[in-house]
Amino acid sequence: MIRIELLKQLRRTSYWVVFGILAVISVVVTIIIGLSSAATPERLGDYGSVIPNSSGFTMAAIALNALLLFLIPLAVAIFAGESLAGEASWGSLRYLASRPVSRQRVLVSKLVVAGLYSLAAVVLVAVAGLVSGIATFGWHPLSVIDLQQASPFASGLTTFSPLQALGRIGLATAIVAGTMIATFAFAALCSTVTDRPFSAVAGGVLFTFVSRAVNDVPGFHVLGPWLPVTDKGAGLWTQVLFRPTDLSGYPHLALVQVAYAVVFLGSGWIWFTRKDVLS
Amino acid sequence: MIPIEWYKQFHRPKTYVTLGIAAGFSIVLTVVLAATGSGQTEFVGDVPLLMVPRTSGFSVPIIALSSTMKFFLPLAVCLFAGESVAGEAGWGSLRYLLAHPVTRRRVLWSKAAVAGFLSVLAVLVLAVVALIAGGLAFGWHPLSVGDGSASTPAHPVVNVIQVGTTFAHLGIGVLYVGAGMASIFAVAFFLSTTTRRPLVAVAGGVAVTIISRIFNADYLPGIQVVNNYMPNNDIDLWQHQFTRPADLSGFPHFLVLQVIYFVVFMALAQLWFTHKDVLD
Repeated sequence: MIRIELLKQLRRTSYWVVFGILAVISVVVTIIIGLSSAATPERLGDYGSVIPNSSGFTMAAIALNALLLFLIPLAVAIFAGESLAGEASWGSLRYLASRPVSRQRVLVSKLVVAGLYSLAAVVLVAVAGLVSGIATFGWHPLSVIDLQQASPFASGLTTFSPLQALGRIGLATAIVAGTMIATFAFAALCSTVTDRPFSAVAGGVLFTFVSRAVNDVPGFHVLGPWLPVTDKGAGLWTQVLFRPTDLSGYPHLALVQVAYAVVFLGSGWIWFTRKDVLS
Repeated sequence: MIPIEWYKQFHRPKTYVTLGIAAGFSIVLTVVLAATGSGQTEFVGDVPLLMVPRTSGFSVPIIALSSTMKFFLPLAVCLFAGESVAGEAGWGSLRYLLAHPVTRRRVLWSKAAVAGFLSVLAVLVLAVVALIAGGLAFGWHPLSVGDGSASTPAHPVVNVIQVGTTFAHLGIGVLYVGAGMASIFAVAFFLSTTTRRPLVAVAGGVAVTIISRIFNADYLPGIQVVNNYMPNNDIDLWQHQFTRPADLSGFPHFLVLQVIYFVVFMALAQLWFTHKDVLD
């Protein structure tokens, strides 16, 4: 099932367009920075600061930082939202469901494949940034300033050797992917409910906007730590680029993401295994 | 043609829902501010402007415009512009429309005029409802605005702006934001002439907004060279009116940029629409 699904989706032009846009934007960001202001410090999250032309590794982090606000969540919502609703909109969901395979397996293989694509989207952004960055600025040690530690008495500067930097960037990519879990799960839930892929994708995107909007309303600050998508949560990945590395925020982040995933994917599972498939 | 198109669009639920959401947003914002944090200082925009909502109702339209101008208003504009021609094609009635003894150019421009009017209306509704709701909740008092970039903890810089002046600044702000939608409107309208699926045109316009957000020097300082040529990036300059001295030096550049985007994409739309084979 999973292999069939993987191959089926691999032939879709729209998925290649999504990957293409993600890669092209990462590369274009590198080119513009390289041509115009390679020495200007760039912010990473709330507290990180790097100078692009000091090392190619900075571009992987800058690309992640620039795209995780809109484009990565959008890609994740597209992959998750298209999964079942896409099949329904072609009218082939009923044939898929009539095969001698349990609905549960159909759902799981659809979502596993959508999850792999979403993960691939995040990795692609980092890789495109990394490759174009190293081509432009070279394979040098990565220096990051932690503005929380920076003071007149300490620079807050940390330097990673190229191989360490590669590892840290990999870890950062994984954490960014982890912050997309709730969005993925919500778009997947929408995808089981509606027959229109666009509605499912829009649902996923709206989910991130509502979460951010609620987080921005003063007086709702109590809710902040429990919201699925917030500036604070989305910026937490930069911690792995600092030393000393403060890992204290991650267990809570993981807990929140997993809790949302369980609720939404559980509801999606209940809905899909019981619904009348008409399309 | 325009009255017919107007009548047609105005009887569609989409129009009511979009304008209703714009009005509803302002009301919800006021209620939330009044119920929760109205005594707290709000940081608005990149200046940032520091305002305490409770002290003046004028803060509500400023907050409402600031928090919608980068995504929700462009989305509303894309809905109106993207649906206009593609919606007709989607229903399969575009060919009948063109069978009328009216030039294609006139069809196109009456659709553009109505979609443009509705877009401006969305901005207006949002601001006016916020102004009224804010005034009812907190009163139309002179507005005290802290200038976040000039202030230090030891020396807060606070300007008190009289009611009349605030009103004028707000009016200019609404016009500025409305004019700032021209580029996105034109892109979505152009896409609307090329496809028969309205959602593609809407999504294309939103994508331009998002790309503008990404190539933004506020997030990526290194991107400064392209920052000033992106369609939606300088949409926040109207907020500078509320600082003293008011720095309005970016206005002409942004407005000229909007005109260029508008002319280019509307010309493309006309070129495409007057030459295409209409099959829907």
